[in-house]
Parts: sequence; structure tokens; C-alpha cells
Amino acid sequence: MSNLADLTIAEASKKLAAGEITAVDLARACLENIEKHNKELNVYLEVFDDVVVQAEAADKRRAAGEKHPLLGIPLAIKDNILIEGRIASAASKMLEHYVATYDATIITKLKEAGAVFVGRTNMDEFAMGGSNENSAYGPVHNPHDISRISGGSSGGSAAAVAAHVALGALGTDTGGSVREPASFCGVVGLKPTYGAVSRSGLIAMGSSLDQAGPLAKTVEDAELIFNAIQGKDAYDSTSVDKGTYPAPARTKKIGVPRALLNGVDADVLERFESSLTALEHKGYKLVDIELPSAPLALACYYIIMPAEASTNLARYDGVRYGLSRKGNDLAEDYAASRGEGFGPEVRRRIMLGTYVLSAGYYDAYFGKATAARETLRREVTEALKGVEAIATPTAPVPAPKIGEKADPLSMYLLDIFTVTANLTGNPAISVPMGTVTREGSELPVGLQLTAAHGDEQALFTIGKELQ
Amino acid sequence: MISLDDIRGLAALARLKLTGAEEENLQKDISNILEYVGQVSAIPAAKGEEKPMVRNVMRKDELSAVLGTREDLLKAFPTREGDFNVVRQIIQKDE
Repeated sequence: MSNLADLTIAEASKKLAAGEITAVDLARACLENIEKHNKELNVYLEVFDDVVVQAEAADKRRAAGEKHPLLGIPLAIKDNILIEGRIASAASKMLEHYVATYDATIITKLKEAGAVFVGRTNMDEFAMGGSNENSAYGPVHNPHDISRISGGSSGGSAAAVAAHVALGALGTDTGGSVREPASFCGVVGLKPTYGAVSRSGLIAMGSSLDQAGPLAKTVEDAELIFNAIQGKDAYDSTSVDKGTYPAPARTKKIGVPRALLNGVDADVLERFESSLTALEHKGYKLVDIELPSAPLALACYYIIMPAEASTNLARYDGVRYGLSRKGNDLAEDYAASRGEGFGPEVRRRIMLGTYVLSAGYYDAYFGKATAARETLRREVTEALKGVEAIATPTAPVPAPKIGEKADPLSMYLLDIFTVTANLTGNPAISVPMGTVTREGSELPVGLQLTAAHGDEQALFTIGKELQ
Repeated sequence: MISLDDIRGLAALARLKLTGAEEENLQKDISNILEYVGQVSAIPAAKGEEKPMVRNVMRKDELSAVLGTREDLLKAFPTREGDFNVVRQIIQKDE
């Protein structure tokens, strides 16, 4: 073992429990890797100055008899998750100096578990993007090839895990923002069931779509983090508990919607097929399924998400907190603060959201998208009555080059397989399925599994078979 | 294609100050995106038999969340005078 930060959470947790290593050792190992790699990768927007102090506190708690799988484990936190007393900027100039006044519920839970927060990770501004190029602080570079994107919007969190500058990370996923960077960086990423994890204290983008989730080296590690952060929360009325959804049958069947796989790169499809074959060898039966409305999911998503985002982002007015600029009157104050505080992609989505919600267009866009969403949800729910999980590639391609997807629509198409789970509220995971070669670089690609509402367990069980 | 006037109207509604060059870029981008998302018009309406994702959640009208101390919230004001947030005067005297 060259560096303790190479350990998985499960391995480190065992060593901590056995007294072979301390939380301070782990923290120092991560800091050492940060020193080596952060400048090149641009993973962390801020490395907290009290990482070792937090680790010492965790060691004291252990010495006092506390036990938890995450006690003393260094985690990276996406910059849109509030930690009291620390900056949460959502990688935006709008919130560059904004200091969180309370803990997100998931942070409270991780503090109770005794996790160590290493720093806040880079992301697409306000979580809007699939490449991390929309950060106001520059893109994250993919640890597997630094000329390529990390994916996004939780690009910093995915790259942090891949580059061993944290043992695990938290991200948020509105349309694929945990799973797509997990695929590009070769790590595991989970988008839980909508409501399984509290949204209290997340900087909101699309409130009916947003979920926080773990990024980790293994499925087992993702499960450990998920178990620590999940649960019904009085501060999030959309949160659910374990009894909300019925327990699904264990059919040992996996559904494959082959009609949707046309645009996937040939070698990515090969990795996908060989992973499916591996699952067959483990006793799973593959079943062809159809999701007739799925080809419309991306169109539906790019109506609902900007509509919700433009509404959520109306709160940034330069009056109570955040960037504030003055014009000649109040309307100009707002426009100047928002024009300067928000980057180009955020402005684009606010404009789009404003359009689809305007009188005269509402029925044609938002009304239709809402109907499409319900239809899609019914189709996915029906399909999951016969199978335990639906398998697709996480993304149709490996990580593109930085700057390659300059046209917004071509960037949006990277989300083609991931948005469905956000629209329908189902849990979905991305698990590495090998690598493909592009210009001499070995680039990881991920397999996505989607399960019935509340059935993260199916994702963990099947995901572990793929490792 | 959406017009430049539409873009300016949207920017005014969204309270966003845009540069001239950005207005033109947005005219192109938003037109392309709208053309793509317009596919949803092909979808038949939902049958309405499924349990909708949204539901009412009631709670007691009691103060429970503590989302920061008064001082922490005051510190976030862009311009502060004592314990006050300095805002623009919007009510004017009749001339």
C-alpha cells in the first residue's frame, strides 16, 4: 500500500477499528495526495484548514468507545451542500463569499457518524452541466486523462475519489450529476430514490429532481455512505421512510431496453454486453423490455429542470446575501447582480425556464412535459414489476475532451440515459464496467442500473456482482 | 426561431442584464433547444390512473428549524448598518 488514501472506506474502517491506523493517518494521506494532485486536477475549491483537527476529534471519539463505519473517514463534499460556518458557493460568483448558517441534514448525519470533511469540491455552477466546465473556477480535469472532462456536475467529487484525495464523496444528482461523472472517472455513483435522502441544506436546482448521493470506490462503500445519510427528515416534506414503498420481488431478472441503445459508441456497447454476460454467469436472466416514452425523456427533462431552476434561482436578488451590484433603480439592481453573478449556462437555463413557464407557452411545454413524465413513470414502474433492475450504459461515450462539447445541446445529450431516473424518482447507480481506448488513453465507462422506488438494495446486490 | 425582441423580453422577465453579443448567442441556443424539447408535443396525455408523485404533507405550525443565528444571517447582508440591511428606497413622495 503506497498511500493509505488508496484504501476503500470498508478497508480503512476495519483498520481503524483494529487500531492499525488512525483517522489522523488517513487525513494526512489525503492531504499529501492533495498537495501532489489538486493543482493539476482542480478538484477542491477549498481544502479545509482543520482536517487534521477533525481527524483528531474522530480518534478521540473512537478511543471513548464510539463505533461507526464512517468514524474518521475523510470525505469530500460538493460545494452546494451546506456546512455551518463554511463557504458554500455552488461554484458560482454569486455565492463566492456566502457562509452557510446551518448544516444540511446529510451533513448533520455525517457529523454524528464522525466523518472528516476534507474540503468542498468543484462542480458545474449551481449544478448545471455535465462536464464541470461551467464552474466559475475552471474545469475539473479527469484523473485518467487530464485533457478530458471529469463529467459533472459533481465532477470534483467524482475526481476526488478517483484521484484518492478523499476516500468517498457526496454529490448531488438532478439529471445524472452523480452517475455521469462516476462513469467518466471510473468510480461508483448512486442517485437514491427521490426522497430517500433529505434535501434540506442543499442549494436547490430542480426541487422535484434533486437528490444527494454518494460517490465511492466500491459499491460497498457507496452503500455505507447511503446508509449514513438516508432517512425521513422533518425539514424535507418530500423525504420518505423505508415503509413508503412496497418490498419488490426478487426475480433475478434484469431488463435491457435495447431499442434505446442506438447512439452508444461501439466499444462502450461491447463493455456493456460483456458485463451483462457476466451477470448471466452469476445467475441473472436478461429480459428485453420496452420503455416507449424513454426517447422523450431528455426533451421532457430540459423543460422541467430549467422551469424549476429558474424559479429556485429567483431568490438570488443581491438584496439579502450573495453578490450585490447597483444600477439606477431596484429593477436594475436585480438585473446587474444576476447578470454578473450568474455564468453563461445558468443564465441560459434561467432564460429557458422563463420561456417555458410564460403564459401562452406553458401548456405546450411544461404541461406536455409533466404529462410525459407521468407516462414515463408508469412505464418504468410497470417494467420493474417483472425485473429487479433495468440496465443501460450510464453515458453513450467515455469522457470527451475539455472544450469538445461547446454546443449546449450536444452537452445535454450526455444525460440521455440518466435523466429518466430523476424524472421518475427511481434509484439508479453507475458501476464501472471497464475501459475503452481513445487516443491512447484508457478511459473508464459505467453501467447504470435502475431499480424500483425504495429498492436501493437491488442496486447494491447486483452492483457488487459486477465488481 | 425566437426573435431578439423575445430574448430581451425574457431577460427583463428573468431580471438578467445581458450583453448584445450574449443576446444573439441566446437567440440561437434557445431556438435550438426549444426545437429539440418541442418533441414532447408528440406525447399522448397521461391516463391519470397512476398515483401522482406529488402529495400533500401536513405538519404542525411550530417553530422547529434553526437555520442559523441572527448574527450569522445579519453578516450575510451585502450592505449592513448596525442590525439593519440597507435596501433601496422604493416609495417616493408625491411631487
